[in-house]
Amino acid sequence: MTTLFAFYVLIWPALTLGVLLLICRAVLRDRREARRQHRGLV
Amino acid sequence: MNNASLHQFSTLTVILLMLAFYGGTYLLTLGIRKKKEDADAFMVSNHRVGFGIGAASMTATWIWAASFYAAATSGYTYGVSGPIHYGLWGALMILFIYPFGRRFRQLAPNAHTLGELIHARHGSSSQLILAISNVLGSIISLMVNFTAAGALVSVLSPLSFQAGVIIAGVGVLLYTLWSGFRASVLTDFAQLVALMAIAVVIIPAVFFAMGGPTELVAGLDNLTAEQADFFSVDAILNQGAPFFVAVLAYAIGNQTISQRLFAVNEDHIKPTFLTATVGYGAIVIGLGMIGLMALTLGIEPLNGDMNNLIPQMVSGYLPPLFIALFFILVIGSLSSTADSDLSALSAIMMADVYGKNIARGRADPQRMLLVGRLTMIIATAVGIVFASFSLDILVMLVFVGALWGAIVFPVIASCFWSRVTNAAFTTSVLVAMLTFCVARFEWLPLTGLIGLGFEALASIGGGIIIGLMVFGFLGRVAGFIAGMLAFVAMLAFATDFLRDYTVLLASLTAYGTSTLVCVVMSLASRQERFDFDSIRERVGDYDDHLTDAEPTESAGDPATASLAAQR
Repeated sequence: MTTLFAFYVLIWPALTLGVLLLICRAVLRDRREARRQHRGLV
Repeated sequence: MNNASLHQFSTLTVILLMLAFYGGTYLLTLGIRKKKEDADAFMVSNHRVGFGIGAASMTATWIWAASFYAAATSGYTYGVSGPIHYGLWGALMILFIYPFGRRFRQLAPNAHTLGELIHARHGSSSQLILAISNVLGSIISLMVNFTAAGALVSVLSPLSFQAGVIIAGVGVLLYTLWSGFRASVLTDFAQLVALMAIAVVIIPAVFFAMGGPTELVAGLDNLTAEQADFFSVDAILNQGAPFFVAVLAYAIGNQTISQRLFAVNEDHIKPTFLTATVGYGAIVIGLGMIGLMALTLGIEPLNGDMNNLIPQMVSGYLPPLFIALFFILVIGSLSSTADSDLSALSAIMMADVYGKNIARGRADPQRMLLVGRLTMIIATAVGIVFASFSLDILVMLVFVGALWGAIVFPVIASCFWSRVTNAAFTTSVLVAMLTFCVARFEWLPLTGLIGLGFEALASIGGGIIIGLMVFGFLGRVAGFIAGMLAFVAMLAFATDFLRDYTVLLASLTAYGTSTLVCVVMSLASRQERFDFDSIRERVGDYDDHLTDAEPTESAGDPATASLAAQR
């Protein structure tokens, strides 16, 4: 029960961290692509 | 802990924190500022915003200050399942719009607002109904976010509520005014990174500071049977179901979403919206867990105000640095939503009002920019005034919710079914609003045959919600079958029962009525079937520019034709 509740509470910050890393990596890729095409990021 | 007060910052600390936040955000926008902005970029950037920036912006926009407070309140009120019943349905609002969003983008790849698409499909009356619902929604959102800033500043420092409202309003306006949507999406990324990083630290920090899983499980004894049940009917009916009904309505009625649909690179719509769904759900449900922790510890919200739950937990268990981080978390979330609302409002006034209804095909891009910036200034002033005087917006909120529910079917059907007419769209929305009012304010006694009639309409509404959701992902046949099954189930469930829940009954009635009227009028019409390909030719860019990266690629494409092609 204790493990289950620990998982239930901590899975959300873990997921948040995963999405944060995914977005940061994607933005770096967008930036490289934008530079290659000589245009702005937005 | 129950008697503890919130940590207090000095006036100077709070001013420095806000200066650092808004000053940093403003400096960020200087990097993308152009001396001469163009109107299209001001509304939707270059229609090719990448996956990373798009997903970050979508997530940051959808998370507003109320998301944290309401999720924590839900966890505190409904127990174990509470945070899920708030965050999950909010996240699904992003998910369920994307299949329809792809259709919108396919029909009008160079649109700036959903209203432009509807204008090309039907004409001014339908477009203006959509535009009005978007404007009201964004004004309410602005007011709520500025109010949250005022409340936060006043509970954590000696500064007044009004001072917080004004600093937030001016701060957001300052960095959004010149570059519009481009500034909004860029700063959304920075704000989301800060917001997520802080959430990742704060949730486990509070959890372990309060005693960790052992303490949480021990505190389950403080919960009622309903609160301890993950499948609590109470939580489903009072928190989950009303949100579920609003899933499609919020997404269709919100220009901040459509704007991003038209801005993101077309190939990246699906991953962008999927990532935003997971990101939103994770942050909001996670912070909602702090409400559950407070419940298990038997903590009473300070002054009976549920909005104090998270600051109270952070104040009680963590050092002042974390309270400063929490402060930035809330200011970041409310600012990212407020700048999106300003961008949405300016796009509506620029494209839907000035471009389509005043200039009528002869829009001057520079004048459009002026309209957009003036809109932002006026909207900020309105938001600040409404928030400062704590005006009661409940009635406005009720009507906007009803309007959003009423337009869901006509908007979606107009994009897939060639027989829907302008008269069917407009009439169905107006009749739906009328029946909504009758049910919501009980203008007629909801008994006997009248009650039965409204329950039947509401059952159609329930069927339509399920049907459209399934249709979006699995297609027409599956959508029709799911809708019919839901309709029959609703008839069995709602008869002689739903009339006691007037809020739910009225919302579902709005969906059901608009669907019924729209379908009957469209079928009865002898108007020629609509050619969807014509939308692409009618909705284009306003500036006579070529894209900076591939200057010749789209020159001959009617979809990118500028002003001259617009009707």
